[in-house]
Amino acid sequence: MLPLRELQIRFGAALAAGLGEPDAADAPAPIDRTLLGLVSGRGDLAAAPRIQIYRDMYRARLVDVLREDYPRVVATLGDEEFEILATRYLGHHPSTHPSVRYLGDRFADFVDAEGPEPPFLADLARLEWARGAAFDAPDAELLREADLQAIPPAEWPALELRSIPACRILDCAWPVHEIWAAAGRPAPGEPPSWEPRAVAIRVWREGYEVSHAAIGAVERRLLPLLERGAPLSVLCAALEDDLEPEVAAREVGGLLLRWLEDGLLARRAA
Amino acid sequence: MTIAVPFLGHGIGLRTKHFPALWDGTARVDWFEAISENFMVDGGRPRAALERARGIAPLVLHGVSLSIGSTDPLDDAYLLALGALARRTEPAWISDHLCWSGIGEHYAHDLLPLPYTEEALEHVVRRVVTVQARLGRQILLENVSSYLTYTHSTLTEWEFLGAVAERADCGLLLDVNNVYVSAMNHGFDARAYLAGLPAGRVGQIHLAGHTDMGTHLLDTHDGPVIDAVWDLYRQAVRRFGRVSTLVEWDDHIPELDVVCAEAERARAVEALVLEAANAAAA
Repeated sequence: MLPLRELQIRFGAALAAGLGEPDAADAPAPIDRTLLGLVSGRGDLAAAPRIQIYRDMYRARLVDVLREDYPRVVATLGDEEFEILATRYLGHHPSTHPSVRYLGDRFADFVDAEGPEPPFLADLARLEWARGAAFDAPDAELLREADLQAIPPAEWPALELRSIPACRILDCAWPVHEIWAAAGRPAPGEPPSWEPRAVAIRVWREGYEVSHAAIGAVERRLLPLLERGAPLSVLCAALEDDLEPEVAAREVGGLLLRWLEDGLLARRAA
Repeated sequence: MTIAVPFLGHGIGLRTKHFPALWDGTARVDWFEAISENFMVDGGRPRAALERARGIAPLVLHGVSLSIGSTDPLDDAYLLALGALARRTEPAWISDHLCWSGIGEHYAHDLLPLPYTEEALEHVVRRVVTVQARLGRQILLENVSSYLTYTHSTLTEWEFLGAVAERADCGLLLDVNNVYVSAMNHGFDARAYLAGLPAGRVGQIHLAGHTDMGTHLLDTHDGPVIDAVWDLYRQAVRRFGRVSTLVEWDDHIPELDVVCAEAERARAVEALVLEAANAAAA
């Protein structure tokens, strides 16, 4: 009798081998004879098609999960092309987490390594993944303008600012925020053509709504400081290599107002 | 021996699609069953929704990735996350499936069938005992729909299920639809299955729809419960009495009132069966 572990290893290998290209579904990958010999064939279904049911469910279920994680990659590629790409991904990166929530965590890097077509696909996948990460990132109590007004202006330079945990920064080689928007409202005719353009994007969650926006060079430089928490004075000093102190203070002041409005700053724990 | 869980009535699965309709507070929901893994997240809408749901009705956690039958080591991080979720949400009980869902540190995210052998039985019992000690509570294990059986099984599925429950001192979540699906796929007698389970161990019942694929039935949870499964539910009520019952609907999910109507139907079916049983006893 085959030990349970050996059976499970062979069954797992049969599932993985079933991740051939979807267009090869008419000629399923062979199943090892030992496993076949352990499965009862009965009625209309012999042993092999019974194992094939599990193979088909395995692929279909996980491709569906990726489809939900990457809707605009799906919209860009079309359903069939996406399924081929997703199936190949699953072959290289089987799930290693008990929750399917993390199944697609290496998809963008995989797409990148594949030499994607269209070439912005990896950046688009990165944006979709970052939006998903912001969706269920830890909650935080927000710092509001009224909180700042309660602090004497003399204490502002020492005031430590920190971004909420649901904030991500992406450096993209393509204007992926525009590509994302266009993929969400496909127009008839030829898809728009895109030119590469370096863009920094901030992804964040306000309440339960996830947003993203292209950000300028100054904000791109300051946001990583906010992740760790930094006093206003440090934010200003970070800009003073390139800007006059008064200009730097004005820039930081303008950004501070925008961050407060966007709900990007966390209130410090009491 | 018995499983000590409360009777919660006739509940529904907690699904994102129904959140807006649930929050307006007009639906009658006895209790919710939430998929544990969907709520093992740090924050945001899922976590808030679970809090809100448990303010409306009692909550039960139903997992899909415990992988109790796998020969991989138990996933420590998963058990810690499940324990933390349970402490935060105080579910009436926790359940998962009597199956394996991954091997070689890879998760298949499917409910894969075990051979019903003494070896598998001892293995599962040992792990259930460990999990219950880690969580500090009894768990319920559900019979799964299956599409294959093994030639070297020496026990029937119901004998295996009953033996796990008795030896590990855990409860059973009897999925009546899964019994029906597997009975059709493997040619066993669904009524003998129900008759063969230890009565005091069944702490919850599942009802769901399935799809006839021609060569086999597929457990799709994408439609109403069929008449033959309602018949089996009647037999289950006759045998196990009042047991918390839940309607699962996971694909092509209809509006909340349709799912609630299915739970109401379960309530009515149960009432009729118990009434008849009481009349016969009087």
